Amino acid sequence: MEKNDKGLTRRESLKVFGAGAGFLAMGFPIKLNAQEPIRLGTLCPLTGAGGPYGPQMQEAISRVVKEMNDSGGIHGRQIQLFHEDSQTNPEAAVRATHKLIEINKVIAIMGTWASAVTLAIAPICYNNKVFDISVSGADAISDLQDDDYIFRTQPNTFVQSGVYGQFALEKGWKKIAYIAIQTPYAKTFGDTFKKKVEAAGAKVVEYLIYEANKPSYRSELTKVLGSNPEHIVIMGYSPDSIVIFKELFKMGYKGGVVGPGFAINQKVVDNVGAEVAEGIYILDPGTDPQSPAYKNLVRLLGTTDINSYAAQTYDHINLIALSLAEGKVYFGTGIRDHLRTISNPPGIEVGSFQEGMKFLKEGKKINYQGASGACDFDGKGDILSRPFIFSQVKSGKMVTIGWIKG
Amino acid sequence: MGDQFLQYVLNGILSGGILALPAIAFSLLYGILRFPNFAIGTYITAGGFIAYAANVTLGLPIPLAFLLTMVLCGFLGVGVDQLAFRPMRERRPLTLAIVSIGVSFILENMARFIWGNDLRSYNLPVQRGMEWGGVRIGKEQLIILLVSLIFMVWVQLLLKYSRLGKSMRAVADNPMLASVKGIDSEGIIFRTSYLGAALTGAAGIMVGIDTAIDPLMGFKLILSIFAAAILGGIGSATTAVGGAFFVGFAEEVSMIWLPATYKSAIGFGMIVLVLLFRPAGLFRRTQVI
Repeated sequence: MEKNDKGLTRRESLKVFGAGAGFLAMGFPIKLNAQEPIRLGTLCPLTGAGGPYGPQMQEAISRVVKEMNDSGGIHGRQIQLFHEDSQTNPEAAVRATHKLIEINKVIAIMGTWASAVTLAIAPICYNNKVFDISVSGADAISDLQDDDYIFRTQPNTFVQSGVYGQFALEKGWKKIAYIAIQTPYAKTFGDTFKKKVEAAGAKVVEYLIYEANKPSYRSELTKVLGSNPEHIVIMGYSPDSIVIFKELFKMGYKGGVVGPGFAINQKVVDNVGAEVAEGIYILDPGTDPQSPAYKNLVRLLGTTDINSYAAQTYDHINLIALSLAEGKVYFGTGIRDHLRTISNPPGIEVGSFQEGMKFLKEGKKINYQGASGACDFDGKGDILSRPFIFSQVKSGKMVTIGWIKG
Repeated sequence: MGDQFLQYVLNGILSGGILALPAIAFSLLYGILRFPNFAIGTYITAGGFIAYAANVTLGLPIPLAFLLTMVLCGFLGVGVDQLAFRPMRERRPLTLAIVSIGVSFILENMARFIWGNDLRSYNLPVQRGMEWGGVRIGKEQLIILLVSLIFMVWVQLLLKYSRLGKSMRAVADNPMLASVKGIDSEGIIFRTSYLGAALTGAAGIMVGIDTAIDPLMGFKLILSIFAAAILGGIGSATTAVGGAFFVGFAEEVSMIWLPATYKSAIGFGMIVLVLLFRPAGLFRRTQVI
């Protein structure tokens, strides 16, 4: 193509103008001395079994970051988010993690949901000195030789199953069947639960781990009901739980059921119908609705219908941002080394980045209190406590009926 | 345990009934087109969702939704064949098999795009099952099994006695000879695609009634369908029915002895064993279709 007088082809000059216009349209602040933004990744389950939660988890992070950036960022540095979908699938998550770390150069990844996903991406993170904070519960995550790069806000299986055992015993359950989808936590959870209730005289009459993605679970349930359980603890995901609840009903089961929020949520109840779902208990690591952090999240999302994972990702981004603000070391290592300083007591209790930033600038020690609980971490990056909520399905609605302190 | 055993057997028959129609479709399409069409899995998903739209969105009763689903799924099958497979007619089976996998990704994601990832159910109240001597069966399951049996018989009759069936068998047996004899093989492919997709769509609504509707519902079944077709000696619609009941039966009854986590291994294991020891299928029939 011939060059014109200015040495640019028409096409090239269009490209230059186009790029410039695009740049302005995207609203980039044009600062001559702008510092590099801090790059953070999200890897929420936008599709797959975690699909009902992922979008809100990601949205919580995005809204928090927007406010952080609007209020001046972290010591003047903006935060740039890169979103990927874990698809609730370890393989897809590994590909996404490589992309986030190698191409987007993120220093931290937030919001991985299923334990299998977190376990799959953990080695990539700690080998690259990238910080990872998840909402996964499996114990194998505690035991990783992760050089302290892997944290989580979901209580570990030991804490969770202990609360389930406590719940079953308080309700006076005697003949219990444990059924769980095949996950890294299914066995640890079942074993801990069994030990706890059997020590107190109750009996686990059937212990069954089933495969994901089966069109029906009729024969699995035939086996479970063959042991005549009076109550069932189900650790499934919502897709299989829907099938299981319908089949249990058709098979004439009339006993009690308890499971976590990722097995039983309003969508599951709507799907199976009020009659089938009546009386099912939901026992879940909860949120702390009275906390200032939670109220701030309600304001940001504009709804009170917040899942406990979105409350956790709200905490993830705030914990990360405050650790960076505290340490001023803008790498995964910096987050790792300063997270406990801002999250654990003692210190002034804060529930948002802006509040925390104010005290940090005054040189004070802070203790972040999150939307999902106290957010205090042990030496393995596990959460020390977490409020548990239990609710029950009554006439097609989930009604909160009590709290257990985890 | 005695009662329980009968329950497992019944569960196996129900699973077989659901697998049978897609297994027939898979075999018919293989017989005519000579490649394993994995898009069958997503015809199940399509069937489930089309019936959902008819039943829940439009408020049609289930029997009407069922018919509409079969009609529309048939057109979907023809459309897929014309758009994706026809330009590739002369390629090797492996190429076409890969194309069919691509087609299923596209269709599955279209379903996600339109209806989202959530699980859905038809506008049908879940009812307690009926019980005889410790064996339980749901009313819908019984109807599903009956409808499935009716279609199985109908397809057999169609293949044996109708002009279309005879032409299909002729094309499957020797496409060249059939075309010399004046059989329009493109026309036969067209009608087989329609029939296969319609039957599979019917299975989709059955799965949806039996359990739930989600974009993965076809994918969950494809391994068992494939196993059933191979057991039946791939390409034979009659023996595919036998294969379907065998696979359904084995998957359910094995639950008595095997941990539930090995369910998928049953399908895979059967494929391997049959291919190793009885490559012509469990029932060793040489006749096609």
